[in-house]
Amino acid sequence: MRRLKLLLAVLFALSMFAASCGDDETDTADDSSSDSGDSGDSGDSGDSGDSGDSGDDVVFDYGVDGDSKVIRVGLNADLSGPFASLVTEIVAAQEVYWEAFNEAGGYKGWTVEPVVIDSGYATDVGIQNYQEFAQESDEGVLMITENTGSPITAAIAEDAADDNMLVIPLSWASLWPDPEFGATILEKQTTYCIESMNGVSWLAEQVEADGDTPKLAIIGRPGEYGEDGSAGASLAAEALGIEIVYDGTSAVAGDDRTAVVAELVGSGANIVWVTLTPGELADVFGNAVGQGLDAYWSGNSPSFNYLVHLGGDLAEQFDQYYWQSYYQAPWATPGIEKMETLVEEMTTRRPDLNISDVYTTGWIEGIMTETLIRAAIDGGDLTRANMVALATSGLEVDFGGLSAPQSWPNDYNSAVVRSSWIYDVDAEAFNIIPMSEYSADNTGSTGMIPVEQDYVADFVAEATFDGPCIEPAS
Amino acid sequence: MMTALQLAQTGAGATFLQTLVKALALGSVYVLIALGFVIVFKATQVLNFAAGAIAMAGAMFMSILISDGGIPLLPFDNPLAPAEGEAASIPMWGVHVLIALVFAALFGLVLERVAIRPMVGQPLFAMAVVTLGIEVAVRPFNLDATALESRNLGVPWKAETWELAGAIVPKSYVAAVVLAAIGSTAVLLFFRSRLGVAMRAVAFDQEAAMAQGINVGRVFAIAWGLGAALAALGAITYGMAPFPPGGNVSQEIHPILAFRVLPVIVLGGLDSIAGAIVGGVMIASAEIFAGQYLSQYNDTLGSGYSTIVPYLVMLVVLVVRPFGIFGTPEIRRV
Repeated sequence: MRRLKLLLAVLFALSMFAASCGDDETDTADDSSSDSGDSGDSGDSGDSGDSGDSGDDVVFDYGVDGDSKVIRVGLNADLSGPFASLVTEIVAAQEVYWEAFNEAGGYKGWTVEPVVIDSGYATDVGIQNYQEFAQESDEGVLMITENTGSPITAAIAEDAADDNMLVIPLSWASLWPDPEFGATILEKQTTYCIESMNGVSWLAEQVEADGDTPKLAIIGRPGEYGEDGSAGASLAAEALGIEIVYDGTSAVAGDDRTAVVAELVGSGANIVWVTLTPGELADVFGNAVGQGLDAYWSGNSPSFNYLVHLGGDLAEQFDQYYWQSYYQAPWATPGIEKMETLVEEMTTRRPDLNISDVYTTGWIEGIMTETLIRAAIDGGDLTRANMVALATSGLEVDFGGLSAPQSWPNDYNSAVVRSSWIYDVDAEAFNIIPMSEYSADNTGSTGMIPVEQDYVADFVAEATFDGPCIEPAS
Repeated sequence: MMTALQLAQTGAGATFLQTLVKALALGSVYVLIALGFVIVFKATQVLNFAAGAIAMAGAMFMSILISDGGIPLLPFDNPLAPAEGEAASIPMWGVHVLIALVFAALFGLVLERVAIRPMVGQPLFAMAVVTLGIEVAVRPFNLDATALESRNLGVPWKAETWELAGAIVPKSYVAAVVLAAIGSTAVLLFFRSRLGVAMRAVAFDQEAAMAQGINVGRVFAIAWGLGAALAALGAITYGMAPFPPGGNVSQEIHPILAFRVLPVIVLGGLDSIAGAIVGGVMIASAEIFAGQYLSQYNDTLGSGYSTIVPYLVMLVVLVVRPFGIFGTPEIRRV
């Protein structure tokens, strides 16, 4: 609060300074002693390019300093664009993950240095950042452990494959598990498309439990995210025999959604599945519910944002009508050991930040990367090519209950994760606190209460997935 | 809460009434922000491209006052703020709106003094570009301030509605019309005051006004202060649910709000108070009624077609009256 006031007070001086600044780059590495923990399976080694040798029989090429045993990883993150609120927290969590890893001694003396560059969610900037990360020198990185957004991921996917650069996208498009399209893109968790299938199935169960016949409205925005989510909802309706009373795939474009609300309200839907931005959802939901539409609502993440929706004046309505679909455990979920670690590390190392559900995402990116790095070190090969070989070898990553375990074999059906989570939205529980105030008696709450953990619709469990739900944008 | 069945029974009259109220409410937002544009233009002949960022900053001031219990720009607590977890009464909320507008006006004055005043005498195009620069400079701070926390506007009635002749009328929509009526009346009264007459004189001929002893710099500053306050009132109004920000200052929606008003001022006339009022209502009505009554042709017209309607109306008007419905024909420069 005080910071905001000061910022505004010195607006012009700071703006001139800000304008003259370039990209933000963070350096948080610590050197430390060795510690051998669990190791992953070691896969085949690929070409090692201009290989070095660390002196303990580990070969490497780019983004690795064999003398100091430091591995550089890159985060091509939106820290100033439309998803900055989410991404800033995700990046903070991943940084904390590496701080904890390094301070615990790393792995066999190897530590990890995360390098963060802001993309602002601009594709051209994201591509430039990628080129910086992909340098075939010490200035490059071993892999990209966070790449914000579908457009930037799509833009770099081909180069990443050519460069043997593993990329963990902050995007859940159903394109990425396709080896033809995202050969080195390691999508974490399920896809928008399968998330929609599970979500619509779960909502239909609730309607049927009420003794009604499900009638589905699909509302999405144009683009990979919107179309992928809407496609999954359509496929679910087809598989479950649900009538689609309004198909608003790609209908939410522009600043006025009166037409969408008119069609939705007139459709008589009792299930609404959305793939929108938080602002679009507030508009469509607020007006439709305000006009009396009585339906079960849910949608792909990040349509719903508790800060926007439970922190706003529609909180009561969201509590009543909306169920949040997501992929992972929310903040301070009890009974998950890795969540306890996450909470302890985050509250200790970033007490000034507020509690958040998306710290789990940063932690998951960290666990994925650490598992691969451990396997590579055990196999004596930290080259980019070997990292790709390891990732696609079937190596399974266990997230300790934070999210479903996952592997990335070169087979679409085996690579996709089929489960997602459903949360009840609890406006009364919603209580965002700074982590400095966190205690066992005062955990705070994002208002997200899990009602289904790793939910898989029956038809999703039985389905064979042979490719993405949408065509890649040309 | 109405059920879907009840909705189906809602008559065409009720739907029309709901649509009309929504159009008037959006029109009210457009009117407030358009008035801000017009006042600055009347005094300085410059189209203020920073209006959006200033408007959002004003809404943030409101949030700081009422939700955070602070004072914008100053390290003090707000003694009038409601207790934590409690909503303000409507009169007290109104008082907070007024205080937020005062801070927005001060912000406008500072911007004018720092960035615009030194440009007096320079080409108008250069001044317009400076306002773009202000927009670019202010926006990141707005986004930063709304990034990691929700910034609620403390609207006492939240998303409550009334039922009127079968139509559901959000209280916020009625409030928007009331706020726009107050804002418009205040502007009209201002232009009848001595200072308002001075502003009109400056707009008409700066050198002649100076020769008559009018302090042109002071007129510029007042125009920027008033323009900022009106823009802020528009942003606060648009923050109320069920407008898209849903009761908050929105980093997604507020920054682009001012640009949606450009068709209004082109339609009404860049230098016309009446044009801003009539244009705001006309453009919003075209947008909302097209969205409501042409929705079944969405596949043919294309998604988001209603957003284009204001620009179509604007184009037609430009062809017929390039200076807008109420604008002064001499105006050529933007």
